[in-house]
Amino acid sequence: MKSYLKACLFLSLSTLTLATRPWGMTALNVRGGGSGIQEKEVKDEKVKGPCTLILIRHGESEWNVSNKFTGWYDCPLSEKGISEVKQAGLLLNEAGIKPDIAHTSYLQRAIKTLQLVQEETGTMWIPTSKAWQLNERHYGGLTGMDKVETVEKHGAEQVLIWRRSYDIPPPPVLADSPFHPKNDPRYAHLEFPEEFTETLATTLDRVLPYFLNNIVPDLKRGKTVIVAAHGNSLRALVKHLDGVDEDTIVNLNIPTGIPLVYHLDENMNVIPSDNGIAPLRGEYLGNQEEVRARIEGVQNQTKK
Amino acid sequence: MFLLKYLLTSFAVANAFMSTPSQKTLTPSRTFGSQIEQRISQVRKHATRASTSLAMKYTLVLVRHGESTWNKANLFTGWADVPLSEKGVEEATAGGKLLAEEGFTFDVAYTSTLKRAIKTLWIILEEMDLMYIPIVNTWRLNERHYGALQGLNKQETVDKYGKEQVLIWRRSYDIPPPELEKDNEHYPGKDPRYADVAEEDLPLAESLKLTEDRFMVDWEKTLVPEIKSGKKILIAAHGNTLRALVKHLDGISEDDITGLNIPTGIPLVYELDEDLQPIPHSDAIAPLSGRYLGNQEEVKARIGAVVAQTK
Repeated sequence: MKSYLKACLFLSLSTLTLATRPWGMTALNVRGGGSGIQEKEVKDEKVKGPCTLILIRHGESEWNVSNKFTGWYDCPLSEKGISEVKQAGLLLNEAGIKPDIAHTSYLQRAIKTLQLVQEETGTMWIPTSKAWQLNERHYGGLTGMDKVETVEKHGAEQVLIWRRSYDIPPPPVLADSPFHPKNDPRYAHLEFPEEFTETLATTLDRVLPYFLNNIVPDLKRGKTVIVAAHGNSLRALVKHLDGVDEDTIVNLNIPTGIPLVYHLDENMNVIPSDNGIAPLRGEYLGNQEEVRARIEGVQNQTKK
Repeated sequence: MFLLKYLLTSFAVANAFMSTPSQKTLTPSRTFGSQIEQRISQVRKHATRASTSLAMKYTLVLVRHGESTWNKANLFTGWADVPLSEKGVEEATAGGKLLAEEGFTFDVAYTSTLKRAIKTLWIILEEMDLMYIPIVNTWRLNERHYGALQGLNKQETVDKYGKEQVLIWRRSYDIPPPELEKDNEHYPGKDPRYADVAEEDLPLAESLKLTEDRFMVDWEKTLVPEIKSGKKILIAAHGNTLRALVKHLDGISEDDITGLNIPTGIPLVYELDEDLQPIPHSDAIAPLSGRYLGNQEEVKARIGAVVAQTK
């Protein structure tokens, strides 16, 4: 009788959790568990004062070129993407910033971005952690679909909601699709719901614990940490760092391949930079006019 | 059931007389049945050395980095952190393609803190579509430290000290080259990547023996448990650390190891049994029991090529 009650309790609790976001990645799904949004204590370590966090969004990928929804699909950087990032390393050298530790995602466009920066800054040997939690937001059933065709099919407004809503999910990817993570060996150690998709909200749910548990301890030891990641995983980070609200974050454009540098104090609060471009308090390296143009998307681009 | 046990017993007994004794002691077993099983697994190990399917438990792949810019300029390199030459990049790409074609996969990769090995590894993993696996960088996989000779031209050094002395420094097992001074630019204590290494571990010069001693710490402490946990491992490293490793795996003598050439960029595949003893492959080129991937004629030619550097 008692075990029956326990079973009922367990089932109802888990249903409750799943019911809130049945298609998403709750902490429950991750084998080995997520610990929720709590900071792990750095044992016996005195926080070593101001530290530096460098964020960099990967450059243009091949699917950006062919205008497809990418998400977790592992496409490489395009030639242009590669050259965008080479500049980043040079900018870091000029600013005299040398990373001690690196974090990136499981996706090669971010990993390659990091490698190019490491090569340029002479830091190929630094400890590098690859984390699925830093992946781009998964685009569910839209993965692989052409953006223009999707607009034609569902209407511009609906597609805009899927792309720019904080928490309205795109249609999920199904278990038999090649784009479902359970069909990719690199995610074999994780559990996914049969139907899977993400929003910026659920992306933040998995990015933030990773940041607090894995990146903050490095920062607290006074290390300079570089994070090479994606548009939405970086949006999640700066939302947290700069307290950006939901409405603003969905439209925030983080330009590709430009190092975004944060200095943090002992309490992990951002020390606002004089060159911060609101709503961000970190500083983009390089020519500030060009940076502003990139943020506003005004830069001349050859149409393909 | 009785018939089966009878057959198993007679098979085991008959083979026990024919097989060479195991180097490992038998763990005491409680039941007669498990004793039989132990005998059979021993027998399988010895009887099927040529075939890898039954006894093979683990695969370990080694690759020596390709030509570096200092290899090309014929300079002693050691811990100097020089990049691959264009040819070295091509060699790594070819190595990666071979591994991809033969369907290899890895769970984790180990390499040194030197960019010529790291870049080799990155290129190989990109070819194999495995960029997401964790990479561990360890100074214990670094090339042997060449002391005061680092940065000197090999031919000039021969002209200066004589061919014999240089040959001793290059190919002696335990005579290190001259030590460098701590104010030398190549002193590892000046390099932030070795900030966490104890000062007494930082070399001023190394012989193959010293290289082996400091590499084997990692082998025993880290690599062996990783392999035994079932992870498939790729090690991208340097001539002398790989010599140290194959010396240990294949029980090669000190005299033979100093003359052994491991060609660059060609994956060297070891199949190991559950005690991490190598299972000799039919394509193995003595004294190694591992096999090099790719065209075997080319491999043999490449093994001969490394000797030519100080003629």
